Amino acid sequence: MRRGLLGWVGLLLLGAGLLAFYLWPRPKPAVQAEPPPAAHQASPRILFAERTVPVPDDNPQTPAKVELGRRLFYDPRLSKDGQVACASCHKPEFAFSDGGKPVSAGIFGRKGSRNAPSLTNVGFRRHLFWEGRSPRLELQAVGPLTAHDEMGMEPEELAQRLGAIPEYARAFQEVFGDAPTLKTVTYAIAAFERTLLSYNSPFDRYQAGDDKAMSQAALRGLELFFSEKGDCFHCHVGPDFTDDEPRNTALYTVYKDIGLARATGKDEDVGKFKTPTLRNVALTAPYMHDGSIKTLRDVVQHYNQGGQPNLNADALIRPLGLTDAEVDDLVAFLQSLTDQSFTSNPALLPPR
Amino acid sequence: MKGWLTLLPLFLAGALAAPVELKINLRIGDQPLRFGQTYQTPQGQRYQIEMLKFYLSEVALVRPDGREVRIDGLVLADFRRDGPTQGVSVMKMDVPAGQYRGIRFNVGVPRELNHLDAGTQQMPLGVNSGMYWAWNPGYIFYRLEGLALLPEGNQKWVIHMGTDAFRIPVRLQDLQTRRVQINIPPAGGAITLNLDVARAFQPGPGGAYVDWRQQSLRQLHGLSPETSLLMSVVYYHMQSAFSLAQ
Repeated sequence: MRRGLLGWVGLLLLGAGLLAFYLWPRPKPAVQAEPPPAAHQASPRILFAERTVPVPDDNPQTPAKVELGRRLFYDPRLSKDGQVACASCHKPEFAFSDGGKPVSAGIFGRKGSRNAPSLTNVGFRRHLFWEGRSPRLELQAVGPLTAHDEMGMEPEELAQRLGAIPEYARAFQEVFGDAPTLKTVTYAIAAFERTLLSYNSPFDRYQAGDDKAMSQAALRGLELFFSEKGDCFHCHVGPDFTDDEPRNTALYTVYKDIGLARATGKDEDVGKFKTPTLRNVALTAPYMHDGSIKTLRDVVQHYNQGGQPNLNADALIRPLGLTDAEVDDLVAFLQSLTDQSFTSNPALLPPR
Repeated sequence: MKGWLTLLPLFLAGALAAPVELKINLRIGDQPLRFGQTYQTPQGQRYQIEMLKFYLSEVALVRPDGREVRIDGLVLADFRRDGPTQGVSVMKMDVPAGQYRGIRFNVGVPRELNHLDAGTQQMPLGVNSGMYWAWNPGYIFYRLEGLALLPEGNQKWVIHMGTDAFRIPVRLQDLQTRRVQINIPPAGGAITLNLDVARAFQPGPGGAYVDWRQQSLRQLHGLSPETSLLMSVVYYHMQSAFSLAQ
């Protein structure tokens, strides 16, 4: 009888073991490279390329719409003085940010107040603008197109101007079945922006199995980045290294630009700005919402030192105690997020 | 029975809807506003008006007993440099003929419409209205723009009032006395309002006013920290900027 009980227990354990063996999560086999989509010939599909950009039902992607959006993106005729295009502040060579400029110049040389963010993988962002107050690309584009300091266009003026250009009149008719309007302009630009995809950095290649893709320093930086010591990964999380959330990074004690509070009016939102993507971050200097930090190393140092005290500072920010060598390693890791094929992809550059 | 029949036409006349137009006269003080004409604020700053656009919604006519005839719909009143400023029809409605003790409405977009996806809305909402605030889902309710004639040269200024907190309630009604009388004959007619645009430049508590010599005050936007106090001043005065035309 006793033996029989042991036998049953043994059988149960064996069964549980077999079940666990089959159900236990295990590493997925390496992703088989598939032919890249037409717009991204320069970027082989690896790891994060498996992600699909979300597309709203009311603005399906079509090649003709993306091409129209690309032409509009690079066209300064979309601005009041005919001098400022989307690409004036979102330059492909700087991962679609405004290389070197703390804030961008809009029409008639007017200065904005915030740093033009990179558009790398912008189609994945859940909130847009520095305070994250626009829910999707179609609506975001209305901002720069109509803002007094940026492109300064009235909807009617834009519709009239583009409608008078035969190539645009034809293209809008083909894509939207109608003459250009501010709305269709923003829809076409959004469609193009959803093709701004970058997933071929040394880090991506390392993730896909190329052990030599990253330097030793960058690998040490990677370890630090994802460790509690470096503590970068809580906010810079996921395939694009951003949680898309507004946070106060203790940049100032008193904020001239109050960030999210400008939209919500809440004291606790003062100084909160969205966590930016770190993809191609080495190309997008200067940094922070106002472009006040010139180099990547200085940004890492800002976090290493714990920033400036203020009531809304994110709880995660504290002095990190990183050595100079560790700061260098983190910078090397951040540099390994640079995708040269993104900035030179002919499908994303100005149309000929 | 005969008495009923004689009353019937009167009853029908009262119950049938009469077409009514809501018209607006733009004023600067008690004078008709003219685009491009130079005016002066109480503080002596010279200015011109270039554009005025605002949403008008939640309109209701107030019956003598206080009950309301509510009018559905939302309109965008749009005044431009090359357009008229007096007796401009901004809304058409059908209401029962009769006597009313007033009209009320809001300048702005009802909250339930203000935060829908602007990409899916049709005019007068939607992004083509020129009233959509991309950085903060919602609309500009009251958009006034012009030039300040400053010693150093002309400078453009804008007042863009929006966000739910700044929807402007206008209440032109009087149930206690007979001062407000709106008569809608069976054939219909018009209700004409005066809007004193210059109210925006009246000083607020402590004498605060929109001083265009300060660059930061040339763009009053929603809840911007430098300008929220002055936006509140403008908002306060806007609540009494409308009146019934005599």
